Amino acid sequence: MPRVIYIEHDGTRHEVDVPVGENVMRGALYNDLPGIVGECGGACSCATCHCYVDAAWADKVLPPISETERELLEGAAAAVRPESRLSCQIAVSPELDGLIVHLPEHQF
Amino acid sequence: MAIDAANPVPPVRPRPAGEAQIGAHVPPELVRRTGMPFGEDFNAGPHAYMAALHQTQPPIFYDVSPMCNAWQLIKHEDALFALRHPEIFGNEGGSPFPRDHDDYFYLLPVEIDPPHHRKYRNIVDPLFSPQGVLKLEGKIRKLANDLIDEVIDKGECEFTTDFGRPLPVSVFLDLMGLPQDKRDTFVQWAINLLHTQDRALMVETMNLVTGYLKQVIAEKQANPDDGVISRIAHAEVDGRPMAPKEIFGFVFFLFIGGLDTVFAVLNNIWLWMAENPDRRQEIIGRPDDIDKVVEELLRRWGVTFSGRSVLQDFEMRGVQMKAGDRITCLLPACNFDPDVFPDPLKVDFDRPRKTILAFTVGVHSCMGAHLARLEIKIALQEWLKRIPDFRVKPGAVIEYKPGAVIGPESVPLVW
Repeated sequence: MPRVIYIEHDGTRHEVDVPVGENVMRGALYNDLPGIVGECGGACSCATCHCYVDAAWADKVLPPISETERELLEGAAAAVRPESRLSCQIAVSPELDGLIVHLPEHQF
Repeated sequence: MAIDAANPVPPVRPRPAGEAQIGAHVPPELVRRTGMPFGEDFNAGPHAYMAALHQTQPPIFYDVSPMCNAWQLIKHEDALFALRHPEIFGNEGGSPFPRDHDDYFYLLPVEIDPPHHRKYRNIVDPLFSPQGVLKLEGKIRKLANDLIDEVIDKGECEFTTDFGRPLPVSVFLDLMGLPQDKRDTFVQWAINLLHTQDRALMVETMNLVTGYLKQVIAEKQANPDDGVISRIAHAEVDGRPMAPKEIFGFVFFLFIGGLDTVFAVLNNIWLWMAENPDRRQEIIGRPDDIDKVVEELLRRWGVTFSGRSVLQDFEMRGVQMKAGDRITCLLPACNFDPDVFPDPLKVDFDRPRKTILAFTVGVHSCMGAHLARLEIKIALQEWLKRIPDFRVKPGAVIEYKPGAVIGPESVPLVW
């Protein structure tokens, strides 16, 4: 099962095995990790699962960012950076084993 | 205060209600007696009434009623804040269902605040996730067409009983693992609990529902199936099987949540489409924008409210709230906040994307939201494909069903 590494704003590191086909947001929720809210449940209609994809993964094949996700990110509470994504839109695949995401201080 | 859902106790703070229980800290100039959601003014046109609150009332006011006295939040920003801060605005005792204090239970997961809330949501969230509900798409489309088959050649129907109710309720009963032939009984129970001020009727109905669901849970424990009730009946939390009170509170809450809400949304939307043929044509002409259409219709036709208990003294917009007070987020009014949605009553499928409050927000946001969106989308697509032109039956009088889920009592249509 692919492993996703979540790093909280204060540096706390969590390594979680997330089943293929689940997304990075749910990987956090199912394991009670702080830092991701996901209040819409993964419909790409809130912006409370914001994460920053680690620079080491910048050139890896992540699911493409949609127009809707881009619009929503504009409304995210924490600073939006080029590596910002909504974690509900990152479906976990075998290629993403070892993915590192950094979590912002606030989701709203 | 830590809540032990396996060993529930009745709330320590009673729900304030009526003239005698207006707190001394409540400024008289903020006290109102609007009669929502049972008053005549309100039911003459609930959505327009709630949009007008932004002109007729202060942004936070204190509504006194025989059921519950509560601060009413109508600003989008205030509701987002309250719903996203369960440590200030908690859910214990937030729900009005009358419960036997000698056999008390919590409504799960809605009355459980973080951190315990998530472990209950995890049990059912996979079924209700966007991918989870997509598995039901074929079944929902077929059901929608079966219902249309029944009425299409008659040239008329009573929308609420011929389509608005059977579509979402049948889907829900299948999902839960409940029998279809009791559909109308279940709906009547929901109406008796949600649309009355008659406390005796509520208590009587609670007893019926309680007895029935306890029997169903016992059956599912003996004979597991792949429905939601069975899944809950066999679930574990914290590495232990759930306690009987947890299972019952969870099943009861889903039962109440699943019967009445999409039904009311569909009834509102179909009435609007019947009265606005040009807008109906716009929906038909923009098939690729169906998701935007659904989202805007959910904003415009929100049907319910969300209550919370104030857990600590708190000031909002200069209004002093005290621990033990109640608040009601008037979600449809928040969806009409002109600061966020200009010209709020206008249905505009091209609005900039903003958080809508149809399903609330925060940790307790509606777990059925994706199922609701999918049902509304399919209903629009299948109905408009086969019955693109329809209008309200001449002479029909539209009346709103009083109560906490807002929609027309009946919608007679002809085509």
